[in-house]
Amino acid sequence: MCPVLGHLTGRLESADIDAEHRIAVLYQEFGGPLLRHVRKSTGNDLQWAEDVVQETLVRAWRHSARLQWEPSLIWAWLLTVARRIVIDGRRRKSVRPHEVEPPEVDMLAVPDSSERALSAIVVAEALRSLSEEHREVIEQTYLRDRTISEAAEILGIPPGTVKSRLYYGIRALRVLLQDKGVAG
Amino acid sequence: MHEGVAAYVLGVLDEEEVEEFERHLDTCARCQAELKEMADIPSRLDDLKHSAAASEDDPPPMSMSR
Ligand SMILES: [Zn+2]
Repeated sequence: MCPVLGHLTGRLESADIDAEHRIAVLYQEFGGPLLRHVRKSTGNDLQWAEDVVQETLVRAWRHSARLQWEPSLIWAWLLTVARRIVIDGRRRKSVRPHEVEPPEVDMLAVPDSSERALSAIVVAEALRSLSEEHREVIEQTYLRDRTISEAAEILGIPPGTVKSRLYYGIRALRVLLQDKGVAG
Repeated sequence: MHEGVAAYVLGVLDEEEVEEFERHLDTCARCQAELKEMADIPSRLDDLKHSAAASEDDPPPMSMSR
């Protein structure tokens, strides 16, 4: 999952490295894996996926202190940056209805491997084993593309409570998925 | 503050909250460790999201009608 980046830290740290070279190294190390990952969320829209990767790496370059982290942490962080860019893009598209692709097209464009279908069944089962409170906040935030604040309003509970339940809910979900062998 | 890591990983924080959390993340080893542990979860949830949206014949695994 995480690209093998043992030599990355040294390459980014060397004193003579200039900004341009640094972003080239970022592309070389993370560009491919990131593009493969992002394409799962953008469907067949390769142009969009490439834009997301570029924006992600530009943001990474702006926060160069984080590039001193260990590679697996950099990778985890880059995934969160890329995910937010995709979510923002999707939101922007949905406030301009004439530019919207029907969501079904977007979803169906992704080849539905049997592995993925199996994972969906396992995840659904794991969600059902969570407590009602935990399942509810996961469903009302991530699964419905809503922020904490939006979900809090709908559920009629404080944002801090949503955030906290989400934390314990995601931890519980991770343990369940780990037991079923579908999470690292 | 530590509890924000799940919302951060899922991308459901507001913009200002993201910046606030990232400042915390820069200095918190515990959240850095949990970020790595949770990084794979959104992809797993996406598997469910996509399959629920794509299959019209089967009832969705949960009440997930959009
Ligand atoms: Zn923390």
